[in-house]
Amino acid sequence: MNQEPIIEVKGLQKNFGAFTAVKDVSFTVNKGDVFGFLGPNGAGKSTTMRCMLSLIKPNAGQINIFGKNLFEARNEILAQVGSIVEKPDFYKYLSARKNLEIFARISGADVSQQTIFETLDFVGLTGREKDKVGGFSHGMRQRLGIAQTLLHQPELIILDEPTTGLDPQGIIEVRDLILRLKNEQNKTVILSSHQLAEIEHVANRMVIINKGQTIIEGSVSELMNAQETLLSIELLQRANEALHLLQQQFSNIKGEVISPKTLELNVERNLIPAINSALVNGGFAVVALEPKRTLEDFFIQMTQN
Amino acid sequence: MKQLLFLSFMLLWQVVSAQDPNELVKAVRLKLEKVKDYSADVHIKAQVPMIKIDEVDAKIFYKEPNQMKVESKGIAILPKQGLGELNNFLSNEKAYTCALNGTKMLGEVKTSVVSVLPLTENADVILVKLWIDPVKDLILKSQITSKSNGTLDINYFYGDQAKYGLPYKMVFTIDVKKFKLPKSVAADLHQNKKKPKTTEGSQTGTIVLQISNYKVNQGIPDSKFKAN
Amino acid sequence: MLWKNTYNEFIKILAKPRSYIGLAALTLLILIILFAMKADGRMYISFVTASFEQTLSFNGNILNGNLIAFIVLQMLIVHIPLLVALVTGDLLSGEAAMGTLRMLLTKPISRSQVVISKLIAAAVYTLILVVWMGFLALIVGRWMFGTGDLIVLNSDGLVILNYADVLWRYGLAFAVAYLALMTIATLSIAFSAFADNSIGPIVSTMAVIILFTIIGSLDVSVFDHVKPWLFTTHMASWRSFFSDPVPWSAIWESVWILLGHNILFVAIAIFKFKRKDITT
Repeated sequence: MNQEPIIEVKGLQKNFGAFTAVKDVSFTVNKGDVFGFLGPNGAGKSTTMRCMLSLIKPNAGQINIFGKNLFEARNEILAQVGSIVEKPDFYKYLSARKNLEIFARISGADVSQQTIFETLDFVGLTGREKDKVGGFSHGMRQRLGIAQTLLHQPELIILDEPTTGLDPQGIIEVRDLILRLKNEQNKTVILSSHQLAEIEHVANRMVIINKGQTIIEGSVSELMNAQETLLSIELLQRANEALHLLQQQFSNIKGEVISPKTLELNVERNLIPAINSALVNGGFAVVALEPKRTLEDFFIQMTQN
Repeated sequence: MKQLLFLSFMLLWQVVSAQDPNELVKAVRLKLEKVKDYSADVHIKAQVPMIKIDEVDAKIFYKEPNQMKVESKGIAILPKQGLGELNNFLSNEKAYTCALNGTKMLGEVKTSVVSVLPLTENADVILVKLWIDPVKDLILKSQITSKSNGTLDINYFYGDQAKYGLPYKMVFTIDVKKFKLPKSVAADLHQNKKKPKTTEGSQTGTIVLQISNYKVNQGIPDSKFKAN
Repeated sequence: MLWKNTYNEFIKILAKPRSYIGLAALTLLILIILFAMKADGRMYISFVTASFEQTLSFNGNILNGNLIAFIVLQMLIVHIPLLVALVTGDLLSGEAAMGTLRMLLTKPISRSQVVISKLIAAAVYTLILVVWMGFLALIVGRWMFGTGDLIVLNSDGLVILNYADVLWRYGLAFAVAYLALMTIATLSIAFSAFADNSIGPIVSTMAVIILFTIIGSLDVSVFDHVKPWLFTTHMASWRSFFSDPVPWSAIWESVWILLGHNILFVAIAIFKFKRKDITT
């Protein structure tokens, strides 16, 4: 994958009075990434994203987008960015199309009526363009919001919690849209979420922040594989003996017997195939091997510390 | 002897020239009553304290006994009394009594000063004083004192229409000490810069009417005087 | 970008129901005044001329369209600021409350331009209000009551202006009244830059107007040095055009003070808005 950095955030800090919303956040987004911006509620995600869009002025730190300082080349940069912050809000008294026209007019590009119709079609709102946004469901607004980010063909799309408040069907639709943006239009997408599942499904790289600080940054697959997983093993019998065998064969395996048929191990994910072979070779009848810890647990673990 | 002669001559002259005030007023009244109606152009120049107005042209119409109308394109300010009211007041000779107050020179004319006292009780008019030219039977000056308006002086100047007792110029001198402005309405800007004018003390204003183009006794329909 | 966004602002104002509240209220108010004057205008006049009428008689068409327009202007100068603030106080804060400000400010348009385009839209809206008021008061008034000399009661007496001498006065009076209303508009925009809800700036603007008006009308020497600098003192400056002679220097002074306030309020709005963290 191309490693050209699109966004570089370094040492970002923002105080609201005595309250420090963002203490020290740094990360890099590369061209073509679907970048997950992960953190629990109140971690400083929204403040960071607002800083990246010049809605909030940071007290310290640097934000470079497309290799330029955001606060020096704001308009030039924003002309290449499409974004939804928090939730897309529109002029409720105007139609979907009029709303898009308004935002297109100040997007920095010449957006044709055809582009507007195509974009509405892309997000599945064809036929509703004349309806007032006031009557739209949350999901429709979210899709219209995404349409709004696409009108001027930006290179970078920033989506803040794009699935918040959506029903499962809506979540799937938005997720699908994001993947299409990456695959069909080759956009760089950065999306924030407080839910791992969201990011796990669509992102290739991510950063986790908590209490205003970067915790970890890396590729989603690496982060998942590198970490210990709680492996639950179900056997026909002799769980005790199985644990004994594994502790002999693999050094430093911690585990406990839950029941005569079940044991749980803390292992690295890439050890799971070897554990399976060892058990089978040792004559144990393995009913199920279930890695219980996903990124979700990791996330909870990280953010609890 | 010479002195005595002169004295008796003076006395005699006085008796001869002293006329019955009622007759004087009657002569004036009869002259005025020759006018059944008239219309005329009026040029009004009002200089009244607390009122600022340009000179205005208007048309006046009169028809006996007491119909009066002013027609003007713009706003014209006229004295409330003195145009038709005096004629009207004098026309009913039972309503007043006259007394001679001697003579006075008005310009070059020696006038008889006649006081006219209304007989009716509760009349608004308290006293009317007339300076009458006994030779031409014309009122040269009048002074109307009324309860509601204070004192109003009018000077009359006659020309072509003297035969009808109609002046070509009237100068009204009015008493304005009664003007009071409603405070709430006059709350405007810059008022703290100027001292608000009051009409405390006796201020007078004048209104000069230049009357021309008289058309006398040519008939004016009553409908002219109906308020539109 | 400025003009594109100004165009957007027009679309927004046109689509907002509250924009029409002002126009409708204005129309209704003026029609009520016209109707009342038609029905009972003589009473109103006699209240003004009463003290003169014992001695003098006023002839001619006193209750004419020119006087009606003057009465309308005088009555509405208290209420129109509310109608203006209703729309202009909402321009920035309304978008903050709605959430659209977030969307707007992530576009490649500078914040000063956002403020200025909203200011232009506010100026045009206010102009429409003033022109509409002028049309209803003067044109409809003249149509209903005819034209004629204008009789005006000032603090130092009655002024009667020739009908031919009235139109230019109205033209300039409306211009100065417009400037006064723009002061309200810019004040409410300045408040709007500080607020995240649309009611706050509207109420604050009215509160300031009421406060300043009260200070201006208190006859206490403590305020004597303050009064000439209160914009509310100069809001009725349009009236001076109906004095004779016209106090030009006083009017110019008012114009400069009002203009100064306009510039000050716009500067405050831009200064604040540029530094504002958008957290809504």
